[in-house]
Amino acid sequence: MTTPNAIPWAEALAALAADAPAAAKLGAEEKSALLAAWHPDNKVGGMTNLLVGPSAGQPCPVDLATLLHANALADDMDIAGAATVDTDVLVIGGGGAGCVAALTAAEAGARVLLATKLGLGDSNTVMAEGGIQSAVGADDSLQMHFLDTLRGGQGMGDPELVRALVGNGPAAIRWLIERGMTFDMEDAGHGAKRLRRKRAGGTSAPRILSFKDATGLEIMRVLREATLLHPKITVWNRSPAVELLSDGAGRCRGAAIYSLYRHRFVVVRAGAVIMATGGAGRLHINGFPTSNHLGATADGLVLAYRLGARLREADSFQYHPTGVAWPDALRGQLISEAARSLGAQIRNGRGERFVEELAPRDVVAAAILREIGEGRGVERDGCTGVLLDTPGLERAKPGILAGSLVSLLHLAHKSHTDPAREPMLVTPTLHYQNGGIAVGPDGTTDIAGLFCAGEASGGIHGRNRLMGNALLELVVFGRRSGAAAAAAARSGRITGRANLNHVADWRRALAAAGLPLDVRAPMLFPPVAGFDIAEDRALGRAAAA
Amino acid sequence: MNMTANGMAMLVLTADRCRTGADLGAWLGQGGGEGLRAALRDRAGVIDVIERAGLRGLGGAGFPTARKWRAVAGQPVTERVAVCNGNEDEPGTFKDRFLLGETPHQVIEGLLIAAVAVGAQRAVMYVNPGLGAAFHTAREAVAAWQDHPLLADAGVALELVPSSGQYVGGEETALVASIEGGFPFPRRKPPFPAESGIGGKPTLINNVETLANVPHILRHGPAWFRGLGQGEAAGTKLFSLSGDVQRPGLYELPMGTALERLIFGEGGGMLSGKRFKAVFTGGPSNTLLTAADLDVALDFESVRARGSRLGTGAMIVVSEGTSIPRKVAEYVEFFAHGSCGQCTSCKAGTFQLAELLRRVESGFATQADLRAMRALCGLLPGSGRCGLIDGAVTVVASSLERFGAEYEKLLIGG
Repeated sequence: MTTPNAIPWAEALAALAADAPAAAKLGAEEKSALLAAWHPDNKVGGMTNLLVGPSAGQPCPVDLATLLHANALADDMDIAGAATVDTDVLVIGGGGAGCVAALTAAEAGARVLLATKLGLGDSNTVMAEGGIQSAVGADDSLQMHFLDTLRGGQGMGDPELVRALVGNGPAAIRWLIERGMTFDMEDAGHGAKRLRRKRAGGTSAPRILSFKDATGLEIMRVLREATLLHPKITVWNRSPAVELLSDGAGRCRGAAIYSLYRHRFVVVRAGAVIMATGGAGRLHINGFPTSNHLGATADGLVLAYRLGARLREADSFQYHPTGVAWPDALRGQLISEAARSLGAQIRNGRGERFVEELAPRDVVAAAILREIGEGRGVERDGCTGVLLDTPGLERAKPGILAGSLVSLLHLAHKSHTDPAREPMLVTPTLHYQNGGIAVGPDGTTDIAGLFCAGEASGGIHGRNRLMGNALLELVVFGRRSGAAAAAAARSGRITGRANLNHVADWRRALAAAGLPLDVRAPMLFPPVAGFDIAEDRALGRAAAA
Repeated sequence: MNMTANGMAMLVLTADRCRTGADLGAWLGQGGGEGLRAALRDRAGVIDVIERAGLRGLGGAGFPTARKWRAVAGQPVTERVAVCNGNEDEPGTFKDRFLLGETPHQVIEGLLIAAVAVGAQRAVMYVNPGLGAAFHTAREAVAAWQDHPLLADAGVALELVPSSGQYVGGEETALVASIEGGFPFPRRKPPFPAESGIGGKPTLINNVETLANVPHILRHGPAWFRGLGQGEAAGTKLFSLSGDVQRPGLYELPMGTALERLIFGEGGGMLSGKRFKAVFTGGPSNTLLTAADLDVALDFESVRARGSRLGTGAMIVVSEGTSIPRKVAEYVEFFAHGSCGQCTSCKAGTFQLAELLRRVESGFATQADLRAMRALCGLLPGSGRCGLIDGAVTVVASSLERFGAEYEKLLIGG
């Protein structure tokens, strides 16, 4: 995304030397105008309307709509002869939400099978650096957290979901601590310690709890160990869900799972299914780089949508303001908001602070894109961005980089620079899917027996998510959906066989809408992985012969 | 064949004017009731009219309707019963649901004409409550007739009796047992219900679709009805088309229409452009039709000549993308659930077949399991009081015969 009009690196470094006044706080109208003009969600030609399915008529990015409009990968023939496994609860996805849901369902007495297409814990959760929000401070309240979250989401979040999110927050933190999670602490006087709280963009009180700038990694460490140790949970790695199964009467009855170890399908019949497949960054919507890991290919949205679950805010994505812009090899990787919440400034090529650093992410990202688009960006080796003033932060708070921003240091190390001496070139990176599968407060979807938790679900964050609410969401809604799914598996009236009947209906709908039947989804792995399920099955057959 | 102005085959049972719901006034307003009045003018001549029309039992057997009526009418007693069998529960059959839900009055009028023709004083609409909204519409429609002078003229007591909802309850002797207030268990035959049915009285039992045709025949005459069919076949037939076709649904076509026309014409062809593999005809209890049978005319004789049966007119189409053993497993599981359990061979036989098929579809079967299935297919037929076990065996045996290779492929090491 090089722009001919950008200020050269050396010139920008010189301009950075001088102090600059903070940017003026934007009014509501100015914010709206900025977002309308510069936020990638509003890019002309990037959106289309869904043509088939329960959310037909709703806007959706072209790249995602292509997958939502696709034909199924699996046929009835493919699951004939497949080994069949029964379980109470099937969890699809091995990130934070999947593990929390599996643990909660297992603790409620259910037999749980967790299938993940990568390895357990290989997910975006580990990339969450900033922290987790929860109103635990004396100067904070659930109400403030509630209002901040709704406001941050441009008023589009579902108040019932937000209420569940913030209300369960303190209990979620306690639950994590009980399972062995470490949080940064601070001195509370008299030799006592208390949770250290940081400010996040768009919040009215310091509310971010963290473990250095690797909070997600620490959460995932705890969850992964607990999941692997739980006697009622079976984990299948390298086992993507290829299609959900239905009972012909509209209830979800499990999934057709493909085992990359066995090169075969396995039919899992379950009393309830929890979709915890995460986001869609690897679709590189609007051509943006992404901070997301390999598995973020919107599989859960595709499968649930095909079975009849509505999506919401499917057209809303979060572009994290500070992705790496240089060097090209690290493009899109994330520099935590922790840097800004600790005081790092953002400057354009003229050395100006053009946006309030702790404004909500959508606003900061749009402002950065405006600077770049209007020629005030900075160019280094053909890469364009704006400056994150790490040397200024280190000067103001000596030792802070090594003490609190280890992930940032690690990233700088990989680009052979010293962030204490050189600022980092940053540009917005596709970070988070704000919407997703429409859910209720217990993770219920439009489909009986199908639950959803984590980034795959929609309705909590409205059209923009606050820092720290993603980690909180996966714990809170992982727990709520895990408990609800265990109860549904116990009490659900199961009728009929586990079938792919809904796929036939879907194909009729595609044909009626004139959509091509040769486009297949879920994607499972991004094109770079070179995975083809038909080839992989042939490999298995060849090995058996 | 009678055609409408635009060259389409004429719709009789599914024509818009018949779709009155429970509104009796609307039905009578467009010519309904004329058939019954004609029957009342010449009670003795009704059976002859039906015979000349060539109407046959459309619930699956294809037995000439007039012969059945004559058998009941000829019993040397004074009290008789006429029953409309609306227990429809077979997988893939949904014609009675439509007829009872959308066009209940042509069915009721047909039943009343049948009652008049055979001299029955009692007419029973026996309807599966599992049909949901259609059940409630049928109930309202029966209520609407109660005060109408036509019913008094017919001298028939009309009532609706909910069936148990069980599949086996559609079998004629189970229907009798059920209406008598007992469990829906089939009984030994003979005696047939025509000789001794409900309360020992001669009982006429006809399917919903059969009776729905009757008022139209009485109104328009037998020649008109014969002209609706293709070739030798008379009338139209409702086809419940489902499975891997582009446009599944209920289609009314001339009796004798080619299978190909139903699937590729009305049905819009195969789903996803996959190749046609087979059809489970008339519900699952019949022999599979394959690609070689696409040209078969869908009437009772022609389908029988291919070793299968037209049955209820359900056509469950299977493409190359769908597994025959999985489909068969699904049906046999249905039969295993549906077995009433009176006959050990049926109770244990359907269960064993279901278990063996489950093993096949989940990749754990061996040649020994296929041998066991074939052995059961030889042992079980004819061993039950009713045809349920035979139906289950037919679908297994026919799929093994025509798609044996597909089974072999799913065996361990296959």
